Amino acid sequence: MIEVRNVEKIHQTGETEVRALQGVSCNFPGQVFSFILGPSGSGKSTLLYLMGALDKPTSGEIFVQNRSLSTLNRTERDTYRREKVGFVFQNFNLLKNLNALENVLAPYLPLGVSTEQKKRAEELLKQVGLGQRITHRPSQLSGGEQQRVAIARALLKRPLLILADEPTGELDTQTGAEIFQCLRDVSDQYKTTVVIVTHDERYIRDTDFILRLRDGKIAE
Amino acid sequence: MFKFAIRNLMSRSLRSFLCLMGLTIAIAGMVGLFSIAGGLEKTVSQTFGKITGIVAMQPGAPIPLFSRIPRSWGEEIGLIPGVAIVNAEIWSRVNMIEGKPVISPPRFLFGTEIPTRLQLKHGIYREAIYAGRFLSLEDQGSLNTIISKQIAEQHQKQLGDTIDVNGQEMTIVGLYETGSILLDVAIILDIEMVRTITRFDPNSVSCFYLEQSGNVKNDELVKNIKNHFKGRELASWQPTSLALASASQSNILKTLLNSIDQSLKGNSNEKLEKSNERQLKNKNHTEVQAATNSPKEIEKESSALDVRSASDWGDRLENFTADLDIFLGLMTGIGVLIAILSIINTMLMSVIERIVDFGILKANGWSNRDVILLITAESSLLGFAGGILGGLLGLLAIYIVNWKFANQVHLYASPGLLLFGVLFSTTLGIVGGLYPAWWTTRMTPIDAIRRG
Repeated sequence: MIEVRNVEKIHQTGETEVRALQGVSCNFPGQVFSFILGPSGSGKSTLLYLMGALDKPTSGEIFVQNRSLSTLNRTERDTYRREKVGFVFQNFNLLKNLNALENVLAPYLPLGVSTEQKKRAEELLKQVGLGQRITHRPSQLSGGEQQRVAIARALLKRPLLILADEPTGELDTQTGAEIFQCLRDVSDQYKTTVVIVTHDERYIRDTDFILRLRDGKIAE
Repeated sequence: MFKFAIRNLMSRSLRSFLCLMGLTIAIAGMVGLFSIAGGLEKTVSQTFGKITGIVAMQPGAPIPLFSRIPRSWGEEIGLIPGVAIVNAEIWSRVNMIEGKPVISPPRFLFGTEIPTRLQLKHGIYREAIYAGRFLSLEDQGSLNTIISKQIAEQHQKQLGDTIDVNGQEMTIVGLYETGSILLDVAIILDIEMVRTITRFDPNSVSCFYLEQSGNVKNDELVKNIKNHFKGRELASWQPTSLALASASQSNILKTLLNSIDQSLKGNSNEKLEKSNERQLKNKNHTEVQAATNSPKEIEKESSALDVRSASDWGDRLENFTADLDIFLGLMTGIGVLIAILSIINTMLMSVIERIVDFGILKANGWSNRDVILLITAESSLLGFAGGILGGLLGLLAIYIVNWKFANQVHLYASPGLLLFGVLFSTTLGIVGGLYPAWWTTRMTPIDAIRRG
């Protein structure tokens, strides 16, 4: 489903070059729970963001459903992110001026939110256990609840792909387990491919696809 | 989108408020400044709309107060076809009322030839009487006067009271109110009494007010009168006349004013001296020589009378207000510049603070255009609100000024000016938000998110 072909990413910080990814090639199977593992600075998040078209590789190519992300123009990349990819970040990244329901609907604000989308957003919030908290703002929600809002936001678009960057990084063990269960449930229900970057291997199952990175390369 | 923009502004309420105040004050200042010209235009149109006749006066004199023309010309004017009535007028500034010096608002002694005045079809003052009566033939040679409501209220006078004007006890026989601050300044009495009180030249008047007969058009009559007085010798009024009329030969101010006059006209000192000599010789001439002459000035083909209809006055003042608008525009520009910098600063700070939010929005499919629209929506909302509040504040200030200084000034903000203020302020908001909005598009979504 996702083919990463000899991808290299160099971050330029002033005169310093940081080689985040060095010729990484791999395939992520579709409709499977996948993990990218590795120590800090190994290039896990960089690879995840490249798959989500949040950034461009310095060289190499990434194909999603056989289409190269490099060939997408700016508008197509925006559309790809809005319609095909759902992001879940470590620090939730909700908009604090909007309530839970509005945060879920945020991707569609510029286009105008339909009644159907609003209804679906409410259903998704109920599904992740926040049916009673849809009008609460992020500051009124716990970390786990905020992450559930982020998951609902990612699901609203019925994405092809959910990319989660350390989704339990700021949560306690029990809440972290609940979030993983939530992600697995929605992945099963919506047949969505989920790629998760994490340090924590406790939630990995035998059927999951695992990619280990070290120093920007695939670890043997 | 606008709801989201409002929420964003409300979440930074203090900063939004300060930016809004900056805009509000700038727009209020703009409305206030342009209301000066607006008030002047309105006053002029109100005033001259009431004047149906024509005024004949000295060429170059800005108003009848500064004009001097031969008294005998009145009879000649009366013989010109199309002229129905000729009313001689003398205007003089009042220096003291009730023993107090008159500075602002100014007051004028207005001497009118009563018999001809009473024959006018339309008399501005006569028609504006609200208490007592207008001057009658019995008032000739007396100090019976009519005064405006404004003057009566200022000096707490009523009908039948006496009022001390320039040391003369006058009896108030009528009160008028025209509603124009340009007209409600006159203390009206018989022309000969004004002549005596002010020691006005017995052979001169300030001007003649004419009414046309039948269907004669104003423009045509103006042309006929001017043609009739072509080639006559009567010097144009000049600013120096003010000094020359009362000063001695060695007056420094006189010399200075003359020098300015002459240098503007490109004349030499020799010519200046000659013209001064000629002026002194002509001082007691039957035809009033109020200012310096130069050969170029007295052209045989030019008319010795300036004849103006109400529309001419209006046009002249409109030209003046157009010039005033330029000056006021420059003044407003300073306030507007500060306001626009304030918006840019506010929006830029707001954008820098929310750079992560924009990264999140972009990660969720918002395009750069969407982000630009959100930011400019916020800044345009600030601009729109600033325009509304500024207009209201400006209006309030105008009402206060008009109420407090009812006799001196009249400011007016037209609906057009208020609408322009709102549109202009909204445009400022949009323009002020564009740079911060563009600034956000320079970063990739992930760079923006990582900043957090």
